[in-house]
Amino acid sequence: MSDRGAADGTTASDAATPLDTVTRIDEDAVESIIERARAAGRTTLTEAESKSLLDAAGIETPDRAVVADAEEAITAAEAIGYPVVAKVSSPAVTHKTEWADGAGVALDLADADAVADATDAIREAAAAEGIEAEVLIEDAAALDAGTELIVGGMNTPSFGPVALVGLGGVFTEVYEDVAHRIAPVTAAEARAAVESLTAAPLLSGYRGRPPGDVDALVETVQAVGDLLVEAPAIDEIDVNPVLVSPDGAVALDALVVLAE
Amino acid sequence: MNVGSLFQPASIAVVGASRAPEKIGHQVLVNLRPFDGTIHPVNPSAEGEIFGREFVASVTEIDDDVDLALVAVPAPVVPDVIEECAAAGVDAAVIYAGGFAEAGPEGEDRQDRVVETATDHGMAVLGPNTSGFVIPGDGLCGSFASGVEEVPAGGTCVIAQSGGVAHSLAFQTLREGRGLSAMVGLGNRATVGFPEAIGHFDDHAATDAIVLHVEGTDRGRELLEASRAADTPVIAYKVGESDVGAFAESHTGALTGDHELYLAGFEQYGIPTVESTRELLDGAAVLGDGPLPAGPNVGVITAQAGPGIIIADRIQRSGGRLPELADATSEEIAGILPGITYAENPIDTGRPMPEFGDVVAAVAADDAVDVVLVNELYEDALGLPVDRMRSLVETVEKPIVFATDGPPADFEDDVAALEEMGIPVFHSPERAADVVSLLARYGALADGGRQEPNDERQEPSDDGTADSTGVNADV
Repeated sequence: MSDRGAADGTTASDAATPLDTVTRIDEDAVESIIERARAAGRTTLTEAESKSLLDAAGIETPDRAVVADAEEAITAAEAIGYPVVAKVSSPAVTHKTEWADGAGVALDLADADAVADATDAIREAAAAEGIEAEVLIEDAAALDAGTELIVGGMNTPSFGPVALVGLGGVFTEVYEDVAHRIAPVTAAEARAAVESLTAAPLLSGYRGRPPGDVDALVETVQAVGDLLVEAPAIDEIDVNPVLVSPDGAVALDALVVLAE
Repeated sequence: MNVGSLFQPASIAVVGASRAPEKIGHQVLVNLRPFDGTIHPVNPSAEGEIFGREFVASVTEIDDDVDLALVAVPAPVVPDVIEECAAAGVDAAVIYAGGFAEAGPEGEDRQDRVVETATDHGMAVLGPNTSGFVIPGDGLCGSFASGVEEVPAGGTCVIAQSGGVAHSLAFQTLREGRGLSAMVGLGNRATVGFPEAIGHFDDHAATDAIVLHVEGTDRGRELLEASRAADTPVIAYKVGESDVGAFAESHTGALTGDHELYLAGFEQYGIPTVESTRELLDGAAVLGDGPLPAGPNVGVITAQAGPGIIIADRIQRSGGRLPELADATSEEIAGILPGITYAENPIDTGRPMPEFGDVVAAVAADDAVDVVLVNELYEDALGLPVDRMRSLVETVEKPIVFATDGPPADFEDDVAALEEMGIPVFHSPERAADVVSLLARYGALADGGRQEPNDERQEPSDDGTADSTGVNADV
């Protein structure tokens, strides 16, 4: 972000006071995930790593496993329960849906054959591109059971960690229906941010839609803000979509970027 | 760092003082003439006296303790002058010249040198790249601009990132006869930025409201914290909407622009924002003069329907609410004016009438109402309800704003009487509606965030300073 005019001469860095956070974060788990990526020379975490980071912040994520081949994939799928989704898991692939003509994401896999086919397709496409890739097998979410939100956060030059909540899914950047708060975010502040969205009525059962668990969404916003406060190594967190249903708020996709 | 030496100096050195009227160093001396402290003109190539004061060659040669140096020399020599000031034990400086952090790598190096010297010696440095500051009530004009010394003393403190905007605001208050408690152009913010200025003027006895003009600062979080920690009402005008986020790896990055963060941050920290310099000054006049609103609910009483509709539209569009009045209030109004045009909020009496003031009083007394807006065009036979308002303000602790117009010579006594009792008067329905909308937003924020800034976290410290976070503020 540019500072119009000029940079300030002095900063607050000499008088740093820790910010209070409210959610409970497993700091050891966060640190080890970040260290592993750093050791591999990466600043962008895979979806699986990103979701493990969210787990460590108490954010709900789908049951999942990262597997190497079709046999492991079927074992994982049976443990998770059908239907499942299969997604390419590789540091070399950040835009999974656009990757390899759509082979990167296979939704609604209802049986072992479908899981095996999808897994093989991902492995073949990876081999064709000459990249290392594993496969993420994950519990399939029923998207029509709730509303897709985006919850995000980033470390900014002027304000430090900030959190964001907005209308999620594929139209996020079309409608730009988002609200920001400076982190750490109180429950009241997160709730006010959610209520300020044009899309807010969708969460209260608009025209027969399933109402959303706003408390769970509020906690997710707080947890993302707290993660940024607790782990300055993280530059950006993007959780899109967060599926908000009567049963809670689940992070269906996640991208975490570390500071250079 | 002693910001007090900057804004309340007893002794001032003008470095670059000059006899040449076209030089900044001359105008600064001219502007300082009402100042009753000691003034030392400094210029190594001048001899003799100017305005009865002896030139000295360097600040290091002044025997007296110098609180403040007004540095009116070109950018290339400023770092050396600041070092001399530090060596001479000068506590504070204003640097007028441009050519620093706003002007490329060479300028950045210059500013770095200034900041390093100032930080090492705890000097409060305003600028570079500023027109300075003015404190009318103290006759202290630390600006090189001509004419600002005419701005009368008032209650509003202007803290502007741009010296040009600061002066524009100052001249607006001069024209409206309102005046300022202080005017500060921050410029490049070497060591005096928004947090320091807000902290100082929050404790300034003459200041009853602080208005901020913000373009952008690395210290956004500290700005918010200082604004929230202030006991004095603070209003902000954030400009520069075209700044976009430089982060595009994620949706979040693409959706997070600097401007949005300022607006969201001000709201989160309980600071109302406006979208014009006029609203900034009108808002400060109203928040500074009268009682503060406890919530966003506006009671509107109009003697003419048309302006009342303009007012109602405008208030509702910008965050204010027009609540239903209590049954008892409606009954009372119906009793005052049998067959009234419209006895719900907004109340329309249809025309000015002797009972108009009683209707205003009935609405003002309703618990559902936090702010009162009265619209009544002036009629010679009736005048404005000055006496009724005088008894009202003694019983009701709510902001009351008047919109009126008429031949200025006829109604200026009534207007002056209303303003005297703390009822600000505006001469268009929009202007009154805009300032009342600001009061409503202030009231809504007071209701929510302002009073309890951290519902489950630590409070800002009691001494009026916010807890610094230090999070990435030095990027």
